[in-house]
Amino acid sequence: MRAVKNEGKKETKRAEEMKESGISEAREKSETNGKEQPFEIDRRSVYKCVQCGTCRSVCPVFDVVGWESANTRGRMLIIKSLLEGRPPSEDVLSSLASCTTCGICAAKCPAGANPPDVVEAARAQLVKCGVTTEAQEKLKAAITTSGNSFGETRSRQHWLSDTERSNLPEKSDYVYFVGCFDSYRYPEFAKKTFEVLQRFGVTLLPDEQCCASPLLRTGFREAAGKIMEHNLEQIRKVGAHTVITGCAGCYTTLKNNYPEELRVISLPEFLAEHLEELNLKHLDITVTYHDPCHLGRHNKVYDAPRKVIQAICTLKEMKNIKENSRCCGGGGGVRIGYPDISLALAKKRIEDVPEGVDYLVTSCPLCVRNLRDAGGDIEIIDIVELVAMALE
Amino acid sequence: MVYSYILLILIICCNLSLISVPTVAELSIFHIRIPDLRSIMDITAELRKIVGERLSVSPSELYCYSSDASQVKGMPDYVVRPTSTDEVSRIVRLAYENEIPVTARGAGTGLAGGAVPVGGGIVLDMSGMNRILEIDIDNIQIVVEPGVIQDVLNDALKPYGFFFPPNPGSSAMCTIGGMIAYNASGMRCVKYGTTRHYVRDLEVVLADGAVIHTGSKMLKSAAGYDLTQLIIGSEGTLGIVTKASLKIAPLPKTRKLVITSFRNAEIAGQAVVKTFSNGVIPSACEILDRVSLQVLKRYDPKLVLPSEGDVILFEVDGTENSAREAAEQIIEVCSPLAISIKLAESEKEMADIWAARKLVGAAVSRLDPTKTRIYVGEDVGVPIKKIPELLRRAQEISEKFNLPAMKYGHIGDGNLHLALFIDVLNKDEWDRLNRAADLIHRTAIELGGTVSSEHGVGAARGQYMEAQWGPALEVMRAIKKALDPKGILNPGKLGL
Repeated sequence: MRAVKNEGKKETKRAEEMKESGISEAREKSETNGKEQPFEIDRRSVYKCVQCGTCRSVCPVFDVVGWESANTRGRMLIIKSLLEGRPPSEDVLSSLASCTTCGICAAKCPAGANPPDVVEAARAQLVKCGVTTEAQEKLKAAITTSGNSFGETRSRQHWLSDTERSNLPEKSDYVYFVGCFDSYRYPEFAKKTFEVLQRFGVTLLPDEQCCASPLLRTGFREAAGKIMEHNLEQIRKVGAHTVITGCAGCYTTLKNNYPEELRVISLPEFLAEHLEELNLKHLDITVTYHDPCHLGRHNKVYDAPRKVIQAICTLKEMKNIKENSRCCGGGGGVRIGYPDISLALAKKRIEDVPEGVDYLVTSCPLCVRNLRDAGGDIEIIDIVELVAMALE
Repeated sequence: MVYSYILLILIICCNLSLISVPTVAELSIFHIRIPDLRSIMDITAELRKIVGERLSVSPSELYCYSSDASQVKGMPDYVVRPTSTDEVSRIVRLAYENEIPVTARGAGTGLAGGAVPVGGGIVLDMSGMNRILEIDIDNIQIVVEPGVIQDVLNDALKPYGFFFPPNPGSSAMCTIGGMIAYNASGMRCVKYGTTRHYVRDLEVVLADGAVIHTGSKMLKSAAGYDLTQLIIGSEGTLGIVTKASLKIAPLPKTRKLVITSFRNAEIAGQAVVKTFSNGVIPSACEILDRVSLQVLKRYDPKLVLPSEGDVILFEVDGTENSAREAAEQIIEVCSPLAISIKLAESEKEMADIWAARKLVGAAVSRLDPTKTRIYVGEDVGVPIKKIPELLRRAQEISEKFNLPAMKYGHIGDGNLHLALFIDVLNKDEWDRLNRAADLIHRTAIELGGTVSSEHGVGAARGQYMEAQWGPALEVMRAIKKALDPKGILNPGKLGL
């Protein structure tokens, strides 16, 4: 668990607060092992919510579901009830497991609450109490047995030729963390990304595994700790001080859940820093840009992708951007757990595309996948594809 | 066998979180009344026939509907999300026949527990009835369903050059139905009035499920009792609003904001009284005391607000000339009393200040993460002349109970939002908070004011109705009894 840097801090803080307040914590019986399991969450993070309902007006899941339990305030209330002694049961899952953790509620919360953190902590407690969805369990099984979220048994580097693989530098200051999605669903993105990054001496991890984002987002913190430790060892073996990734989910996990000494850069940030060396040609097209939640709202990477796009072509913004950007619906385990909700969110996001653009560009393969599934007339591409066009 | 059957019934009842139930059966061996489960299942089946999947009895869902933004709690037995007047009528009829409480709810942003089903029963989540049915510019009115969000409505009206003026701080999420039920107003009430002044006709489902209209598109009528005005502010205790015809107003050509600050809140109050007595009617007149100021600056450090003192924001609107003249007059009147006066330089500066002001109530946790703003005693109002005294006494109450407080609100109409904040994990602070709230309510009544200016009475302030209204409360009770003889509509509210 050494790798999960944020957890320890929260739990210690909470224990101190509990001691000070003299309020005993709610205890419930685990459904899995019969032992008593405390439902432990930093109470202050939950009680910050004053139930004003600001989040209700922006929660994208609530927008398509309509029940109070499907908005952030409802989720915070349900978590409060668990803290106050209501036994955790499957009844809470449709609420707590359907949050995409997009973070628009946190961005808008006047009280400064951070509901995605609270929801993730609650999910971890539910896992501890043995309350999970089938989809969650499947996802966990896939990652823990195969090292990727799809349960793929192929090599993660199948998109490289044998020669390319054998020529990979064993040591480098920079490593490209490919991620499950680009490795198995969009190997063309991985290939194009690596082609660009190789110019700068970037290498790959010899045995990269899932970054653990899906495990962390859905509450499997213990399993996540093990896989993160594995990746850290790989990074140390290569001797890299900087990790570059093209996946927003991997980015936020590597940046915020791995040890702080690791320097993590998103692909758009790396590209924006090296625009001059890339010598990109101008394309006579107009594109729009979708901010992935885990790159934008969670990490405030708004300008870098826009800088890259504007170095290549004309950017025409979507209806809701940056902090107000709407979620594609793919994150937080919702794509796999609640595909209908996920798709409805993606369709809503497509409605934000302005008239007269050639492509919708984004910088997260999960967003690409979900938005492509939503259909529509607009072609959806990853930012690396746009860069590749400008390099041709 | 008998005991295990009874035990089973009790366990199921607990799981269904039944605080109050539709029908009850007497179990003589325990001398208690427990739910008739057969009836519950029948009611569930009947409700499902009306709304299909838009019914929930899931404990988690019911829990989410057991509170609003106040401290009032009450667990419903059923939550339904109707989409038409016919569905509402059939649900209410079913409730009437089976004597089940029915509580209508909009976005659940209320601050007095008005939408909390303290008597259990059915919660009608009206937020799905959210269509704007008609924008009739020629008659300067619109027809909407109750679930329309205030800001959404104004976004729709903007291209026509009109707006629906009542604007509560919760305008981004509150519904028109909730605004009508609680006669909501907000910052511009000082010039534009409250929701009450904009309703021409309501479609209302009565306690027995009958549907009536209370008005028409006429500008005026001298025929009969004004049932529209009776329903407005009745908090869902007399009927359920399913449609509303509303008057709209032309958007002003321009707005200007004068930001003034004063040595203390009492002097700020005097400046307001002086401004009004000089004949200026601002379109908004808001006080932010120094604590509120700190909170706002923490919320958005870029806000252009004074660095010290207690602040009054005077907004004026109209044509460029009339707004400028009014702003100049305010500056002249306030100059001898103020420590700073500034005219906002851009529309963005103004918009940022108003956006932040709307959210100030909940933002206190940003100043001190161990403190949470609790909405009690938060909506008192007094005649304008009594404002300086109310401000002074509010400060005394805050000091007496050693509770930090923000004082902000619509000072131009005598409405003070006293925001008390506590450490919610500290029981002693809860106790002091409740005593302070009680005193602020009683102080407002003593000063000839009201315990609620715009948030409503709900279940949170019912205990003060007798003191505020005296014998008039009996008239309200008689009206309630005439329109809702079985007492199924939002029981436990308004001190009835």
